[in-house]
Amino acid sequence: MSYKEIYNETIDERILTTVSNNGIKIFFMPKKGYTRKYAVFSTDYGSIDNVFVPLGEKEKIEVPEGIAHFLEHKLFEEEEANIFEEFSNIGAQVNAFTNFTQTSYLFYSTDNFYEGLELLIRFVQNPYLTEENVEKEKGIIAQEIRMYEDNPNWKVYFNLLRAMYHQHPVRIDIAGTVESINAITKDILYKTYNTFYNPSNMVLFVIGDLSFYELVRVVNEAEKKFDHVSDEILRFLPEEPDRIKERIVEEKMMTSMPIFTMGFKDRDVGYKGKEMIKKDVVTNLILDMLFGESTNFYNELYEEGLIDGSFGAYFSCKESYGHSIIGGQSNEPEKVYERVLGLLKLPAEELLKEEDFIRLKKNELGNFLLGMNSIEFIANNFTDLYFSDFLITDYLELLKEIQYQDIIDRFNFHFKEDNLSLSIIRPL
Amino acid sequence: MALKSERIKLADGIYLNLINEDKFKSNLLSFYIIRPLSRSEVTKNTLMSLVLKRANKNYPTSMELEKKLEELYGSNLSLGINKRGERQVIRFTMEWAKSSYVGEEYDGEVIGILKDMLFNPVLEGGAFLKSHVDQERENLRKRIENKINDKGSYAIERCIESMCNNERYGIYPLGYVEDLDEIDERLLYEHYKDIIRTSPIEILYVGRVDHRIVEAIKKDLNMERDEVITIPEDVLIDSVQTKNMVIDEMDVNQGKLVIGYRAGIHHQDSLYNPLLIASDILGGGPNSKLFKNVREKESLAYYISSTIYKYKSIMLIDSGINFDDFDKTCEIINQQLEELKAGQFTEEDIAKSVKSIVTNTESIRDSIFLISEFFFSQILSQDRRTLEEVIEDFKKVSKEEIVEAANRLKIDTIYFMRNKTK
Repeated sequence: MSYKEIYNETIDERILTTVSNNGIKIFFMPKKGYTRKYAVFSTDYGSIDNVFVPLGEKEKIEVPEGIAHFLEHKLFEEEEANIFEEFSNIGAQVNAFTNFTQTSYLFYSTDNFYEGLELLIRFVQNPYLTEENVEKEKGIIAQEIRMYEDNPNWKVYFNLLRAMYHQHPVRIDIAGTVESINAITKDILYKTYNTFYNPSNMVLFVIGDLSFYELVRVVNEAEKKFDHVSDEILRFLPEEPDRIKERIVEEKMMTSMPIFTMGFKDRDVGYKGKEMIKKDVVTNLILDMLFGESTNFYNELYEEGLIDGSFGAYFSCKESYGHSIIGGQSNEPEKVYERVLGLLKLPAEELLKEEDFIRLKKNELGNFLLGMNSIEFIANNFTDLYFSDFLITDYLELLKEIQYQDIIDRFNFHFKEDNLSLSIIRPL
Repeated sequence: MALKSERIKLADGIYLNLINEDKFKSNLLSFYIIRPLSRSEVTKNTLMSLVLKRANKNYPTSMELEKKLEELYGSNLSLGINKRGERQVIRFTMEWAKSSYVGEEYDGEVIGILKDMLFNPVLEGGAFLKSHVDQERENLRKRIENKINDKGSYAIERCIESMCNNERYGIYPLGYVEDLDEIDERLLYEHYKDIIRTSPIEILYVGRVDHRIVEAIKKDLNMERDEVITIPEDVLIDSVQTKNMVIDEMDVNQGKLVIGYRAGIHHQDSLYNPLLIASDILGGGPNSKLFKNVREKESLAYYISSTIYKYKSIMLIDSGINFDDFDKTCEIINQQLEELKAGQFTEEDIAKSVKSIVTNTESIRDSIFLISEFFFSQILSQDRRTLEEVIEDFKKVSKEEIVEAANRLKIDTIYFMRNKTK
């Protein structure tokens, strides 16, 4: 077996990597002394991939909203076995999640890990869909959607995405709507599955006190033979204007006080890898320097009672989109919004001090180290970064490279009044 | 390797518990203050904690304190307030990256900040800072009112509150809006002094135990104390006098159903482990009776589960359903519980539940925070068993015991949140 080893001295962690016989990329981080073992098997496919050319076809199709998530639910269905029961039999716990750009299946156990790994590969690679079991799932997912509809934090966030984006499918609810999932059929699900669950589009990450050799052997034995390892999957995104769609959106819900989020839409998109992750880290540092708990802004508004401990800001991006989100709860959300706008009128060098930059880099170094304690944190971040062509082990080196000038340049480009949307949920 | 704790008495009612575990990239230090859960002090305790977290004598503003924590590699200061049975537990925790990873020695400094948080508050004329108390009073008011934003946990809270409305366990651990106004900076400071002098305090340290760290923690903690209060035992109720049905009508899209049962089995009783397993078989996970029947078979819900509340020994089943499915869901839940009581489950079901509980218990070893919580919980429940012994005991439970424990469950309160009817 040929494999590659990547070692990072600062965090004292290593990653071993190889490719299975049928093309699944395998990554493994040994964690000596850890009791729990964790595997996450993911496809580079999420809710935004709703227009594509199905495998073996020529024409592109558009699928109903919520299909990636629906498929995630349905893969747990097998003709004869009950997947949950099989994992329980060996004392392992299994779960899955879907977001904008990926679908992941994961399990963890303290014992019988290799049996679990075999089960994981087999069930994800063996869809069993019938008209009946597809129908049955609609009731369950409808309840999941209803649950989110009653969650004001979720609502205020998706309302903001819909205010920022005109066309981009990031504005669509990940689970779809009760109406859209009703249009989902067995045939569309299979088409989608065959396109995106090809080994060439998937990655397996394993972490724990385990043998790399043994886990690769298990994957090679469990995986399905694919006649056609697909070439690049053709996916299409609509043309998205740079400008925001709406400035302010509001809705009323059962809440105790107004909740708000505002977002700066990023115009600097279209790349992956180190360049994108650097933009991500730089922008998050800026947000810490502008709105973090050690800033004048935060402390002034806190003392005036305009914001409370729920206030926070972060930047999130993928190849095709990105946005800085600032949110919290306030009895006067418009005032907070005005204050944010007021802040941005100051010159960058006055707002963003080099000493704060240096201190917040140290802060970020510590945060990352604390994260490396948790195998769940590592597994989830590994996959997320991997699909953006970046390895988690390179993170601290990238952080070190960031210069003060990067902060100033990015600030001047990204934080503009005309690409800021505001979303408010008010009490009924 | 088995986890061990070394327990050292520092003063009357103040103990330091050292757990040497070097596999993490951080160290963790927590101060747990234990109080009886009582309406007369719950609000004050919470407000006091929020004020203490704002600043201390050496870093008298939140901004200075926060800057310092960032400078010390994002040392993470957190506050937890919750109820464990009929006790209110206030936890101040600091977690910081080990100095070997950042190339700078700063353990003593971080430990000092955490201790100052508790023992060196910012004062002004013999009271807390008025501005901090005023701001945190408003924040706490909002926070209590915000309960309603998370409908799922609100429904659970409402069920407990209705079920235990004549018991201390019915008290909301963050306090009450109507009790806030009378608390000023002077009253709160007097209360604080009383808390520091009379409360049992457990200090837990998890990480690399070395002499300098231990000395830094111990320093100045051999303080004068008044008589330390005794925390009363939880009052367990094993019979149900009146069954309760509570309905809240609100503008919601999904109904929230929570059913409360009394078990009345003390956590030191030999039937307690069987009770945990009974609840797991009924509604512990995707393999449970409720998940299979309510979700997989009938498509009525996305989530449904049952949970045992340890110290009070009650069980809650909670789920999100359509308003019209209330009767049907209750009927299935009831039927599944009756089957459990009648012993309609297999040795295999037991083995699965035991494995699942064991896996989760073993996983405590991988989280620096959960290790601290585990040892604290053992102290609180006067349970001398090690983690390994706790795990072994789950494996000894028999089917008869599970059936017996299940038969102790008595329905007490049904809570339902639904939409407004015309």
